[in-house]
Amino acid sequence: MEEYLNKGIKEVIKNYSEVGIILDEHKIGCTTCGVGTCLLKDIVEIHNLPSEEERDLLAKITKVIYPGSDIKIPEVKRKESHSRKIKYSPPIKKLVDEHLLIKRWIALIPQVIENLNLDSPHGRQLIYDGIDFIRTFADKYHHAKEEDILFKYFDENLDIIKVIREDHENARAHVSMILEAIDNKDRKTIIKHLIDYQKLLTEHIKKEDEILYPWMERNLSIAQIGDLFSKFNIAVKEFKSTPQRSREFIERVEREYNIKEVIK
Amino acid sequence: MTDFDGCPGSKMQDFRKKDGKEGEITGKIKSQLRQWPIQMQLISPTAPYYECADVLLTADCVAYTMGGFHPDFLKGKSIGIACPKLDDGQESGLYEEKIKSWIEDAKINTLTVMIMQVPCCMGLVSLVQQILQKSSRKIPVKSIIVSLEGEILQEEWIST
Repeated sequence: MEEYLNKGIKEVIKNYSEVGIILDEHKIGCTTCGVGTCLLKDIVEIHNLPSEEERDLLAKITKVIYPGSDIKIPEVKRKESHSRKIKYSPPIKKLVDEHLLIKRWIALIPQVIENLNLDSPHGRQLIYDGIDFIRTFADKYHHAKEEDILFKYFDENLDIIKVIREDHENARAHVSMILEAIDNKDRKTIIKHLIDYQKLLTEHIKKEDEILYPWMERNLSIAQIGDLFSKFNIAVKEFKSTPQRSREFIERVEREYNIKEVIK
Repeated sequence: MTDFDGCPGSKMQDFRKKDGKEGEITGKIKSQLRQWPIQMQLISPTAPYYECADVLLTADCVAYTMGGFHPDFLKGKSIGIACPKLDDGQESGLYEEKIKSWIEDAKINTLTVMIMQVPCCMGLVSLVQQILQKSSRKIPVKSIIVSLEGEILQEEWIST
């Protein structure tokens, strides 16, 4: 079993498709991940399941890989955690709170698509403003804090960090495609990439809030948490009016589409 | 032994193991204390070991209840200890003044407040919370509540 714990999850699922179903049952969404290089043992550790559930998961996987054999279920080492309930430290909570504004933008995308009018200056400007929100708030203000500060506390070759970075790159690629399409008045391409962006960011935020950040919290010392908090404060000062301006943009679009703020 | 109701902070309780097994101690545990004095009444909040440090503010009883206090909680931190029930530091404003100075003058990195589960200890966390709300400088503050038998009951970040 140790052999499989040290294999990439995509390879394990490729050879044993039932493993993907088992992971889905435990709400571990590896089957939809485009990368899939995380090792099985890291996946088990990162998700921090209650010990009984973890044993159950490993027992089921062992049964699939070694049917009929009496294989000892391995123990995956993890840092001690007193509670499974997610309560973020102040610097990580800042990132989670920023996600709320990004989620409000994501929630607006269906209305933006429905009302897309590339023939009117106002219609085009709305898309430009949306792109500006993604670039300045979601990317420069938020993702940069992760990439330039938070990830530096970890081995950046870890698969989980590679997966997150890849999501950031894919989001940037969608934005570039939308911008190019506005200039060409290519409605179909704009809609395609807005939908792809919406799907990507929805999964991405869930991944960060529920898996990446709690795992990082368990592995950061209190001194690192304090250090991170100070560095985030410095970074926030550099952006001055960006959060306020971004919030105003979201509120304006919500008013325009008569949408009440539902994401808290 | 007589038992009595009343203040949970002074209620008599006997934790001796009935089977005589009190838990083995293996190896010598090294002290992680790196300063003196430690009593809140005596410390100077701007002493060099507090500058930009991770500070532990703990109720007096905590270290006696926890077997692993030094390696698990004191290691790497500077400390101040107090008894919110028996000291007069809370009423006189001395604690407030010194904790505020830790945050604003010594510019400490983080503050961990460890208290016992008894009600008389809770005031220490509330005091820190009030100071933090008034302070222009924010830092991550964690509160840890310890049971009478040295188990962690609750560990959480205090919102600022």
